[in-house]
Amino acid sequence: MFKDRLTESLRQMMFVSGETAEPSVDTTTLIEEIVRQQVVEILARSTALATRRGVRSISTDDLIFLIRHDKAKVSRLKTFLSWKDVRKNVKDSDDKGGADAADFAGADDPMAGGVVAGPQDVASKPKNKRARVGLAWDVNSFYSVQVPERDDEEDEEEEEQNYATLQRLAAADERTKHMTKEEYVFWSECRQASFTYRKSKRFREWAGFGIVTESKPNDDIVDILGFLTFEIVQTLTEEALKVKEREDREKNRRGGENGESSKKRKRETGLFDPPEEGRTPVEPRHIREAYRKLQATPNKNIAMLLHNGRLPARMPLRLVSLPVSILSGNILTVQI
Amino acid sequence: MSLGHHHAGLPPGHLRPPDDLHDARSINGYSRFLSGSRTPQMRASADADGSHAGGLISDADIAGDEDPRIPIFRELYKRSEAQINALFANQQSAEDARRDAVADSDEPQANTQRADEPALPPAPPKKPARKLDDDDDYDEYDDDDDDDEEDAAPPPKPKSLGPSQAASSFPSPSRPFGGSVSVLPDAPKEVKKETLEDIRKKLEEDKRATEEAARRSFHTLFYTLENDRDAMLDQQRLEESERQVEAEMSGQANAGNNANPNSNGYGSLSNANLGASSLTLKNLIARIDMKRTMVQASDAELRSLMSEVRKNRSKWASEDKIGQEELYEAAEKVLSELKAMTEHSSAFLTRVNKRDAPDYYTIIKHPMDLGTMTKKLKALQYKSKQEFVDDINLIWSNCFKYNTNPEHFLRKHALYMKKETEKLVPLIPEIIIRDRVEVEAEERRLQMAELDGAEESDDEPIMSSRGRKAPGKSSSKKGTAPVRNTPSGSEPPGGQAPQPPGPVRSDSDAALEGTQNGFATPPPGTLTPSDPLGVGAGLPGSQGDAMEIDGLITSSTALSALPASGVEFEDPEYKVWKQVTKKDRAVIAAERHRLFKGDKLNSEEPALLRTKAGMRRWLRNQQQSSAEGDKTRELAAQGPSTASATLAEGIEVDEDRVIPDYYDVMSGVPDLPAQLFWKEDSDGNIVDASEDFLRILPKGSFTQPDSKLARKMDANMRQMQETRKVCSKVGIVKQMQLQSQMYQNQFQKYQPEPFVEQDVPAHVMNDGGPVIAPWVCRAALQRSVAKVFYHTGFEEYQPSALEAVTDVASDFFQKIGETLKSYMEIPKVPATETAAEATTAPQWKRAYTEPEIVLHTLASVGIDVEGLESYIKDDVERLGTKLSTVHDRLRSLLSELLRPALADGGEDGSNAFHDGSEQFVGGDFAEDIDEDFFGFKELGLDREFGLATLSVPLHLLQNRMYNAAQAQNTSAAQTVTLFAPPASYPRITSETLPSQIGLVQGFFSSKLQTSNNEPLVEDLELPPKQRPMAARPRLPASGKIPPPSAPSGPTTSPQKRTLPPSASGQPAGKPGTEPSKKKLKKNSGVALGADGEDAAANPDSTKAANPADAKTAAADESSTADASIKPEGDQSAGQAGAAGDSSAAAGTSKNNDSATALPNGTADEAS
Repeated sequence: MFKDRLTESLRQMMFVSGETAEPSVDTTTLIEEIVRQQVVEILARSTALATRRGVRSISTDDLIFLIRHDKAKVSRLKTFLSWKDVRKNVKDSDDKGGADAADFAGADDPMAGGVVAGPQDVASKPKNKRARVGLAWDVNSFYSVQVPERDDEEDEEEEEQNYATLQRLAAADERTKHMTKEEYVFWSECRQASFTYRKSKRFREWAGFGIVTESKPNDDIVDILGFLTFEIVQTLTEEALKVKEREDREKNRRGGENGESSKKRKRETGLFDPPEEGRTPVEPRHIREAYRKLQATPNKNIAMLLHNGRLPARMPLRLVSLPVSILSGNILTVQI
Repeated sequence: MSLGHHHAGLPPGHLRPPDDLHDARSINGYSRFLSGSRTPQMRASADADGSHAGGLISDADIAGDEDPRIPIFRELYKRSEAQINALFANQQSAEDARRDAVADSDEPQANTQRADEPALPPAPPKKPARKLDDDDDYDEYDDDDDDDEEDAAPPPKPKSLGPSQAASSFPSPSRPFGGSVSVLPDAPKEVKKETLEDIRKKLEEDKRATEEAARRSFHTLFYTLENDRDAMLDQQRLEESERQVEAEMSGQANAGNNANPNSNGYGSLSNANLGASSLTLKNLIARIDMKRTMVQASDAELRSLMSEVRKNRSKWASEDKIGQEELYEAAEKVLSELKAMTEHSSAFLTRVNKRDAPDYYTIIKHPMDLGTMTKKLKALQYKSKQEFVDDINLIWSNCFKYNTNPEHFLRKHALYMKKETEKLVPLIPEIIIRDRVEVEAEERRLQMAELDGAEESDDEPIMSSRGRKAPGKSSSKKGTAPVRNTPSGSEPPGGQAPQPPGPVRSDSDAALEGTQNGFATPPPGTLTPSDPLGVGAGLPGSQGDAMEIDGLITSSTALSALPASGVEFEDPEYKVWKQVTKKDRAVIAAERHRLFKGDKLNSEEPALLRTKAGMRRWLRNQQQSSAEGDKTRELAAQGPSTASATLAEGIEVDEDRVIPDYYDVMSGVPDLPAQLFWKEDSDGNIVDASEDFLRILPKGSFTQPDSKLARKMDANMRQMQETRKVCSKVGIVKQMQLQSQMYQNQFQKYQPEPFVEQDVPAHVMNDGGPVIAPWVCRAALQRSVAKVFYHTGFEEYQPSALEAVTDVASDFFQKIGETLKSYMEIPKVPATETAAEATTAPQWKRAYTEPEIVLHTLASVGIDVEGLESYIKDDVERLGTKLSTVHDRLRSLLSELLRPALADGGEDGSNAFHDGSEQFVGGDFAEDIDEDFFGFKELGLDREFGLATLSVPLHLLQNRMYNAAQAQNTSAAQTVTLFAPPASYPRITSETLPSQIGLVQGFFSSKLQTSNNEPLVEDLELPPKQRPMAARPRLPASGKIPPPSAPSGPTTSPQKRTLPPSASGQPAGKPGTEPSKKKLKKNSGVALGADGEDAAANPDSTKAANPADAKTAAADESSTADASIKPEGDQSAGQAGAAGDSSAAAGTSKNNDSATALPNGTADEAS
């Protein structure tokens, strides 16, 4: 049951990520296994972190710490957490504001598509100030005294960090530009797909809570995991699509002299074009290749892991995320 | 004939000492020579006079008369003459090189004119001959003689001949003939000698050349020491075998050796068996003998002295065996040479062990080995060269015989050894040892025969007799010994001396000689056609044969002596090196080996010491090598250096080893840098060169170099420190808000020290390199790591953490350094690939440019430029901005917190000094406006009291901070309440009493009565601690709950705290005024005391401010008192104000109580 829904969710996520055809069960199973492995790894590592702090239960900080280098993800998580906080406050403080509640319902699952609710919503309700989520390794924690918040200065860093999110939104926008109403409804449904939403308990079973870590985690943690799983699926799918595209191109080139033209045509069509007749779904081998690529150890780690000139017998599992070079490259372009 | 030739060729000096020595034997007719022999010495010492000068020639003449073999010699001479002439045609060229023009012209003359030339002086031919044969060893001695002879002998000859003739009573015709004869024998002898000599010389020269080449290669090549051990082991084996032989032979050898000297009477020194040295020392000995009476030393002493002086005495010398010394010297040398080729000879050193090769002795019937040969040699078992050579060849042939497999390694060795043998054998003179007795008997026979024969040939017999006499008298005294013993020395001068006997005797058995000499040489008969003589009867044929053979040998040895022996596939140069240095290396390795016992240094061994000679030799070699490096191979370079050597060198034994310098580690002299040379200026003062090379380590070697990044990081860190300061203040203020009491020292001021990078102290170095001090470098790295830590936000670190990260960092940087190095050391590539072959002088460039090197290195350690850039952007620059915003925020927070204490003076500070102004009290404005408002500084109060600042200490503000905080808290609480609290109920007074419901009226009225009709205070209005409920039961110090005490007392509280008036008023019906007042008094006293304490505790707060302070304090108190509602205060509120002004003691004391009791802002409300 959960399995079916999971598969469904996976398909939806893949669709959002750009996979237009219908992936086979093999593919989704493979992705699911990868995702589960990643989740288990995340949980194990954050548990270890918590233990090192002397705490039994993991906190959101532990989770965020694992992905601290992925600034875009961190910023979105922070945004998400702060809005979740606001929502909770609003729900707690005044139940009367049905309209406001509806507003936030619009941003129901910010992590699903990285949707950032417009600040204008908050502007209308100055009372419910958005509390910033502080991280233990921020500058503010340098000092013994809690640094007071100040509203006037907007964090440029945050804007920067949102860049990736905005890029993704722009891409989604581009994709939905020509959609019909029905298509768009389907699209937005897909965007809401989540591993955790309304199936927290199943998710916990699936991910092995209670074995890897305590069985009753914080609600926030499950939400963050939901976000992260979405990210993993998305990254995997995108990478797999790239692999597939390359493979197709190679195949076409080898196919004959007409390969040149078809390749050109294909390149023009773009990734997000509506499904064509020749479009084939991503296959497990693409996923595998994408996963292999994402598991490649970056140079930096290699250099530090070299002990007396040889690699350790087993490299630790890498958490799936966009390669650092891409992220930093984006940031650099922004700065320039 | 040949006998005469040989001896004629010898300088007379050579023959003299034997004569002298033999004088004692007084063999007939020989005694005469004694006087004659002395004459030259006389001449040398005393000024030469004519009669003595002629002694030499007269000797010859005199000898002639009793020579019976003259006819024989004459005949021999005639036969050989033609041969000689022919030879001289060839010889001429060779002799030209050495002979001067006079000699050149003389020779042909002698040949053509022969006997009928009476005027021909015999001396000139002799002289060149001597010249030819003379060598450095004898130069010193002979030169005197030669010179004397040259100027003395020829002119007086005619004169001197007369007397000599008369004395000898021989006819005069013999003289001219003798002269010619004496000349002619010279020639063939020379030729003969030459050929033999040539072989030897060539061999020696080749040897020397290879040695020299090896020596030269010392400077250019470095040979590893890897073969030393093998060499040592081989050498040890060799020595072992020799020792064995020695042990076996020792008995006989001793006997043999001892026999020799015993045979001599020690009448005169010259009789003493001083061996070969007697030749070289003949003058000395003769002189000593002459003046024996004047010498104080005993014979024994003299002998020991002589034996000390003389070196190189041959052990083979034997009185009884003629030719033994020569033969054995040579044989021993050859044997040892062969043995010394340890690389190949080791298998042949000892007898073949039956265990190793069980069937050896069945196959080999006549086993032979080098050890056995040595034994035989020492046992004097060899009678001739042939026997010796046969034995040697037997070894090799045995080997070939036994090891039939052509691939066998021993065959290779044997082959090599055989070749070497062939090279060496010619060095052995063709001598057959004969007993002296026999020889002498023969000589006598010959003499007799000669005497019987023609008298004309009197010269020849003289020569021959002398020649024969010389070995006959004392074969051991011949000059051969020193020659043989100094193989490395120059061409053996006396080599000719031992040589003659061989050929002389070979006359009798020429056939033997032919086979002896020849390596597959055709028999004499076959040679004759090629013989220049053509017509060769038996004797000339044999002689020519010998010569021919020698010639052949010369050519063959000349070829084989070349260092390049193609048998081995090794690098010839290296091979030569190995051969030449083998022995010395072995010795050195053994010495080295001896220094160790097991793996440890052997403390028993004598210490290694430097020697002057060694160092000098080392320096000389260095000079030589440098000279060779300049392609100026002038031996002159060696000259001055040796000349500059002082006498001290000679004292020490300067054994010359053929070994490169680096073997002699003890003698190495380091190069002196030019700066260390002892220099003097023109005035003779020493120039102190220390300034030139001593330098102070430049500043900043161990500090972070100034850069943009460094400055930014420093700024960030300073910012953090500032912010931390603010933080600490905030913390203090917050604490003050919570605490009601503060102590001056409660809070340590956070006063971080600014970061300063300490450089190393001034350090003087004497070269240009960097300081290599790992611990200092590590400390510097650690500091940098700590800096990065601080910059990341850590304030303190555990040392272990710091150490660990430093280790990681140093490891990382080491990797970077290694990678950089390997990139920089990549060989250069041609600048242009296309023109690589065309360009004559190819331009070389580095394989990588510097930026490329850096980028490659970064990539290999996993860092890219983007990463670095983003680090600087995000973690340095942006961190800086973040830090500054955080700082601003904290500052504003602090000022916010301090506002209640600081900002009472109004916006513009205009009402700062209004009556009761807080600003005035606090004095903080002084800091704000940054001036010495009260003039404390001028008064020097700050110094007097040691104040850091003149502002009011923070803890004095505590009151206000606390109050403000409380007020804030309450106000905050008020704002929280959604609805405004209902108006408080009016207080119950006697007036409002009736408005209360009847039930409580009685109660209230009784209450009012107890409180003297003052308005009643609600419990809620009391401060929390004074509320009746606040008093909780507490355990006394005993830990037991006390039984309930009297109900009248303040039952609830065990503490001494006074009950509030209302509480105290609780017990109804009490005449409460008195006790309550008393209590109040006490309370006020306490309060005052506290106040006073406070004031006393802060005398620093300025005494000058006291009046004002007191006043304001009073005002403060009065105002609070004013506001408070007191049981006693019913006198009037207005009066309270007056009381404050008047500062009446009683009033204040009462009010004081309230001041402490009600610190709350609620008092205001109440008023």
